[in-house]
Amino acid sequence: MKFNGNLFYFLAAFYLVDAAAYGIWFWNSKQQIEWIGVAALAMLSIMSVFLAFYLKKVHVGQGVVPEDREDGRIEEGAGELGFFSPWSWWPFFLGLFVSIVFASLAIGWWLMFIGFPLALVALIGFVFEHSRGQFAH
Amino acid sequence: MATATATRPTTGTSKQKKTKGQIIVDWVTTTDHKKIGYLYLLTSFTYFLIGGVMALVIRAQLTAPGLDIVQTKEQYNQLFTMHGTIMLLMFATPLFAAFANILMPVQIGAPDVAFPRLNAIAFWLYFFGSFIAVAGFFTPQGAASFGWTAYAPLSNTTFSPGIGGDLWVFGLALGGFGTIMGGVNFITTILTMRAPGMTMFRMPIFTWNTLVTSILVIMCFPPLAAALFALGADRRFDAHIFDPANGGPMLWQHLFWFFGHPEVYILALPFFGIISEILPVFSRKPIFGYKTLVYATIAIAALSMTVWAHHMYVTGSVLLPYFAFTTMLIAVPTGVKVFNWLGTMIKGSVSFETPMLWALGFLTTFIFGGLTGVILASPGLDFHVSDTYFVVAHFHYVIFGTVVFAMFAGIFFWYPKMTGMMLNERLGKIQFWLLFVGFHMTFLIQHWLGIIGMPRRYATYLPEDGFTWMNQISTVGSVLLAVSMIPFFWNVYITARKGVKTTLNDPWGYGRSLEWATASPFPRHNFTSIPRVRSESPAFDLNHPEFAAPEAKASAAKKG
Repeated sequence: MKFNGNLFYFLAAFYLVDAAAYGIWFWNSKQQIEWIGVAALAMLSIMSVFLAFYLKKVHVGQGVVPEDREDGRIEEGAGELGFFSPWSWWPFFLGLFVSIVFASLAIGWWLMFIGFPLALVALIGFVFEHSRGQFAH
Repeated sequence: MATATATRPTTGTSKQKKTKGQIIVDWVTTTDHKKIGYLYLLTSFTYFLIGGVMALVIRAQLTAPGLDIVQTKEQYNQLFTMHGTIMLLMFATPLFAAFANILMPVQIGAPDVAFPRLNAIAFWLYFFGSFIAVAGFFTPQGAASFGWTAYAPLSNTTFSPGIGGDLWVFGLALGGFGTIMGGVNFITTILTMRAPGMTMFRMPIFTWNTLVTSILVIMCFPPLAAALFALGADRRFDAHIFDPANGGPMLWQHLFWFFGHPEVYILALPFFGIISEILPVFSRKPIFGYKTLVYATIAIAALSMTVWAHHMYVTGSVLLPYFAFTTMLIAVPTGVKVFNWLGTMIKGSVSFETPMLWALGFLTTFIFGGLTGVILASPGLDFHVSDTYFVVAHFHYVIFGTVVFAMFAGIFFWYPKMTGMMLNERLGKIQFWLLFVGFHMTFLIQHWLGIIGMPRRYATYLPEDGFTWMNQISTVGSVLLAVSMIPFFWNVYITARKGVKTTLNDPWGYGRSLEWATASPFPRHNFTSIPRVRSESPAFDLNHPEFAAPEAKASAAKKG
């Protein structure tokens, strides 16, 4: 929907103005640059532009979809919606093994040697679980 | 709406009784957004109880001067650190994910979330990450003890040695990734999976608030992850990122509060959404000022990223007028919301079922917390009460008021949707009054305690301080608060044992959004049929065509 892109453009403009206002105000009162806040706010603006640009581009390419029309009827959404994994072991194992990797950062490198290979296997499993090969979908 | 989900051979629709092993496998491997939501709900409620017990020990320790309920002051530090961490990051934030998972896809007429497996991994990262963060209690030196804010240089290895702090840092970082993944998933679902006719400005307020909260999540959790990894590097690999020699303490505080303040709104906004769903149903009126409510939410979210340094007034090196201005500005959209809620109730035929009671409890408590927030936003006043029990009272009013009151409102309201059974009204009312009185008894007095100067995070105080009687009232209140959980568990238990299955889609009678147009409990992919969406309350239009929104009536007439 048009509004979604505009929402993020609004946020981008808001944070840009805010970063500038904050930086200038800080400079005026303390004669220093406040790097942390200005950088963080400016990065929010950049992230919002990314999202806004993408949403706008999709909107232009896609045109008006039934869920954005006031008179959209439920049957217009008929057809295959997409693929939804019915169940999966991989999220559990990936979560478990990644947590071992993170814990190893706190506990000691020896645990990394156990956790990392397991996490790698789980990651590959997670990514390729429903893969039928390139272009096969 | 067709989906490509295969029926699971062993379980699926067959009515055979499942073995215990099958049930466990079912829950561990689930990608169903509702089941993941229930997992979130159960896990976060468990952490609520664990954090609550810690709070009781803290209150017991403060009952009288010079007590030794906890053996060392270090243990007291661990308790308040983990109480704060657990309540904010392991109870309240995942509780948002719980309600958003259970309800948001149903409210927009979707069969599931956009990325079911991402949803599952988000839960497991939260689950294991939280476990790592609290696992410090099982180590010889105990858990993290530098406060949930982990200010540098207190949080470095010189002042806080021990593996507990390391586990805290990396556990939270892991859980934070789970939260970010959940946020991405919710945004995508809301933007791409709405049912036809469900335009952005027909979405229920709860869904709107989920969207806005998720945007906040992707804006403010990455800085937290960065800050935590930097702290981890300092602690484990001898980096000097937060070294006081190069301005590290201010860098940490800026980064932490750049996450920390929006986090407060991540906790608040979804629960505002729950309240905005409940008030119209029990006032028999549509929400007053739907669009202003949406814009107010967006305004709160946008502003909330710009107020972080009001937590840092007393450092003396932040821009006081700027942050005082933005902080007071944020009270305006919040006030707009309160007007919307009051306007919804005015001239409605209000009835006081338990969800409504909890919603009103939320309103009272939250408004009080909001008012003290305006006081704290003024630097002159904040200097006097900063780091005292006034601040403790303020944020408990805000966060307990929104999260806990709205959580029980939501649980009572949607329990028939989750389980197919209604919770007992009388027990719910007993629980509400116990909790309401207990809460205000515990925390109202702490405002005065702070004003006369009791600092937060101190393990004890002196008889000459004159804090004793106020602390005693507070402790008695906290016991009442704890007791109020008993009617709730009894309620859940007897409902499970003897509750009557409701056959109605809309047991409250005036439900508005789409979840009230499907069976209770929800079927596997949420809907067998979806009613036409012609306003922000499609279920109400369906069940009460005579009072339906004008567009819905016009559309029905056209169809003949």
